[in-house]
Amino acid sequence: MTVYLDCASTTPIEPSVADIIRRFIEVDYGNAASPIHDYGTFARMAVDHARGQIAKLVKVRRDDVIFTSGATEANNLAILGLREFGLQTGRRHLICSAIEHKAVLEPLEALTQAGFEMTLIPAGSDGRIIVTELQKALRPETLLVSTMQVNNETGIVQPLAEVAEVLNNHLAYWHVDAAQGFGKELDSITHPRIDMISISGHKIYGPKGIGALILRKRDGTPPPLKQLIYGGDQEQGLRPGTLPVPLIAGLGEAARCALRQHAERLEKVTSIRSQALAALAELNPVINSSPEQSLPHYINISLPGIPAATAIEALAGTIAISSTSACTSHTMAPSYVLKAMGRPEAETTSALRFSWCHLTEDVDWETVVTILKNLRNTTGN
Amino acid sequence: MDIFAELEKVTRHEHEHGELPDWLAEPIYEVINNPRRYQGKDYLIEMLIDQLNEYDVYAEAGCCRWASDHEDIKRTLGKLNQ
Repeated sequence: MTVYLDCASTTPIEPSVADIIRRFIEVDYGNAASPIHDYGTFARMAVDHARGQIAKLVKVRRDDVIFTSGATEANNLAILGLREFGLQTGRRHLICSAIEHKAVLEPLEALTQAGFEMTLIPAGSDGRIIVTELQKALRPETLLVSTMQVNNETGIVQPLAEVAEVLNNHLAYWHVDAAQGFGKELDSITHPRIDMISISGHKIYGPKGIGALILRKRDGTPPPLKQLIYGGDQEQGLRPGTLPVPLIAGLGEAARCALRQHAERLEKVTSIRSQALAALAELNPVINSSPEQSLPHYINISLPGIPAATAIEALAGTIAISSTSACTSHTMAPSYVLKAMGRPEAETTSALRFSWCHLTEDVDWETVVTILKNLRNTTGN
Repeated sequence: MDIFAELEKVTRHEHEHGELPDWLAEPIYEVINNPRRYQGKDYLIEMLIDQLNEYDVYAEAGCCRWASDHEDIKRTLGKLNQ
């Protein structure tokens, strides 16, 4: 059976999460907004509980967690939600890095259509954003800085503590897209300077269709966001609509497991990475994600001469991997992230992302290497 | 820490130093003293721990509800005993 090694695009579900989702679909199916009977009250309690479980991971208050349909919606709310405040105050300058996910880049680009100006911060060849460039880009009228916690293609952990130092005496709101790192790397997003954090359920062994935007208050005041949709006062008016209690309870349980099982999960993924690096070393790959700087759940390598699509197809019976982000991989376009890191075309078009988790079964690395070696012989590289 | 030990710790704290009344503490001690009966109900026990950590007699008062009161704890205990 093919072993799933595409956990960066989505993870398998944790069994205890699946049990809880089933409970709130089949048994406790009340509406959290109808706490006028036992069904509704218990649903409301489950939502409160999940909120608390997520808040614990980020060290915020329970009421700082706003549920959304996923990290994409959370990113959109964080960015587009500031539009009115920016227009009113004349602060129309935005900053983000060139290696952000499309779910950050596209809403920012949408704001540029409304008169905002955007500065892209480059990444170095190590895949980390260049913080001195952020320092240079900051202006008095900078409204928002958006940086990711962990890059979704390379797994490289971004220097959030350094970004925090640069932003220390600036009023700009700081949004961190933590879709890839939430629940895996625990420390960096607890920094009190971060104003907004986007998270996703299906990247941490939870369900698809749920995420959250975490809003940290400054002197008791949350970032001045305006809702993007209308129709109710759920989620403090920022995200109207009936709360999907089964998904929320599932996300809460996923967050609980991330905290409680952190050390053992880390040990398992680090061990898989060691096996992968040892096996793939035979191919002399270009390593795009240095083990010192990336999450141990990933490696991203390039095998110049073997097009990524050819390798993925050849490996399909043994392992399921991808080349770039799940949101762009269907286009088979070369990675814009690796391009931003200054990698030549031969490397951007042959990049492979292997990503695993604590639920990953044993991988037959010998067969993987043999298949790739054969491909290399066939292509003459 | 084992989940039952954690439940005991927070219950004792709220009971002996907080405002958790005897009538509410007693059924929680029942859970703590019978871990086998409540095996596989980690979700509800975690919920109970959180509610005890945020226990506030006046949780229903005021405009916003960011604490748990005796009604929440009673309901969770009811679910645990179903």
